[in-house]
Amino acid sequence: MTREVGSVILILVGGAVLRISVTDVFLRYVKPDLRPWLIVSALVLLVLGAWGVFDVVREARDESDDEAAREGDAEHGHAAEEHAEGGHSGHHHAPGHVGPRTAWLLVLPVAAIFLVAPPALGAFTAERQGTTVAAPSSGLEDPFPPLPEGVTVEMAVSDYSARAVWDDGRTLAGRSVALTGFVSAAPDGGWYLTRLALSCCAADAYAVKVKVLGVDVRPQDDTWITVTGAWVPGGGTQSPDAIPWLQAASVAETLEPVQPYE
Amino acid sequence: MSSTGATRARPRIGGLEAIIIGTLVVVVGQRWIAGAFESPAWQAGATVFVSIVVQAFPFLVLGVVLSAAVAAYVPASFFARALPRRPALAVPVAGVAGAAIPGCECASVPVAGSLMARGVAPAAALAFLLSSPAINPIVLVSTYVAFPGQPSMVLARLLASAATAMIMGWLWLRFGKGEWLRIPSRDHLEGDTRLQTFRQVAMHDFLHAGGFLVIGGLTAAVLNVVVPTAWLDVLADNPVLSVLALAGLAVVLSICSEADAFVAASLNQFSPTAQLAFMVVGPMIDLKLFALQAGTFGRRFAVRFAPTTFVVAVLMAGAVGWWLL
Repeated sequence: MTREVGSVILILVGGAVLRISVTDVFLRYVKPDLRPWLIVSALVLLVLGAWGVFDVVREARDESDDEAAREGDAEHGHAAEEHAEGGHSGHHHAPGHVGPRTAWLLVLPVAAIFLVAPPALGAFTAERQGTTVAAPSSGLEDPFPPLPEGVTVEMAVSDYSARAVWDDGRTLAGRSVALTGFVSAAPDGGWYLTRLALSCCAADAYAVKVKVLGVDVRPQDDTWITVTGAWVPGGGTQSPDAIPWLQAASVAETLEPVQPYE
Repeated sequence: MSSTGATRARPRIGGLEAIIIGTLVVVVGQRWIAGAFESPAWQAGATVFVSIVVQAFPFLVLGVVLSAAVAAYVPASFFARALPRRPALAVPVAGVAGAAIPGCECASVPVAGSLMARGVAPAAALAFLLSSPAINPIVLVSTYVAFPGQPSMVLARLLASAATAMIMGWLWLRFGKGEWLRIPSRDHLEGDTRLQTFRQVAMHDFLHAGGFLVIGGLTAAVLNVVVPTAWLDVLADNPVLSVLALAGLAVVLSICSEADAFVAASLNQFSPTAQLAFMVVGPMIDLKLFALQAGTFGRRFAVRFAPTTFVVAVLMAGAVGWWLL
């Protein structure tokens, strides 16, 4: 791989990462905290790539002047590369090779980002696993403080599940809550309100599922909904794979949140 | 004269033409190509692939910047002075030094390559390669946060990882053959100025490691979509199998060491020793890392080094876990 191709690939990769991290698209793949690092490293690559292109253009100009003066004949295709590979012959030290052929593979993520723009993971991923209700950290004094005041409390699905499963729903009893997630199929033919959570990136997404009661029409898989309702006991407690219940008062379709994961 | 210039320039932009044609194909065929990815499995695979590459990206860039800085600004004599002359002693020193540099595993591969090119004994550079992502302060703090109330987990991770790194260094010293290892050469990248050298090494290292990161990400994405994680739960109750299962999962998932403690903590149906094995193995050997090592040090090296690392890391995690957890 010649230096100009290497430079262009650097620019492509840097540009693709910059593009998803200045918009909210990167939230489909990694956690929000990574944004500044993504932007800085994308800029580093863009500068390296632009610098490489700039040098190549400048050297090509110098060289064509030099060569024209010296021999004025260079019709074989590899002359330029051989000359460059010699490297130290002139006043410049342009290596003919800056990368192996495998570096071409870097266009794959660029193509994936610009072409396919893979969506946030959804029902397909959720249906292939059970639920994971993380136990509260033993270090915390009060892992489940009372819910805030208000008529209806908007909650994360993982928070609702943890309170229902590890605290036997004590803080949920008698309250109206609103949960937002997508629809995924249950093995028994029913469906769950589901949200995926990340530890690091989408590669380790785990599902948190809630069984919604009192809805006659089953929404389509992968539809984003907000369910307002109340906690009812059921589905098991004190186990990371328990799926708590929610008695729905209303179900509303909604748009996919900017931050699709919890 | 101008026509000669043009002829001369053509072969230099041959690769560029490929990129331009590729871009055109992609722009014209966008609807068709995007349509081919409509099935949920393909989409999930593409999402996982992009997420692994994007997650590793800042750390890889940090690594190549560090490695370029080593190549351009740190004279070889520095390492000759800083490290004991006997490689057997240099191994533990380099292993402990790895703890001081906060890098992810993707960062440590090019840095270790740069160290070898700078004359550091390969065994010592390899100990650094393994210890740097495993026991640096960021990783230990994130482990502490991920396992609240279990500081013994942090200590166990530190001990098991450091032991693995040093044993691997000594094993290389005793059994390693120079011909297996391709020490990345930097000579042709020396520029007129240090800044030029810095730039050329950075570009060179990124292009070398980047392609292999893509290979690792693709493999991990395919396995992620093809193999459901549910089968792991079957193994959770057997003490030996659970350790092997999580060690294998660490290899397949290929997540960065800065974040793996949170993943390990979420796998709480497994024994603490199995969780420890996940955290000791992951930063030292996973699919992405294997591809990076093969790209940097050669395939002959990677096929020997990676499996040995896996075995030693599992044994160390088992021993330390049995002792401390």
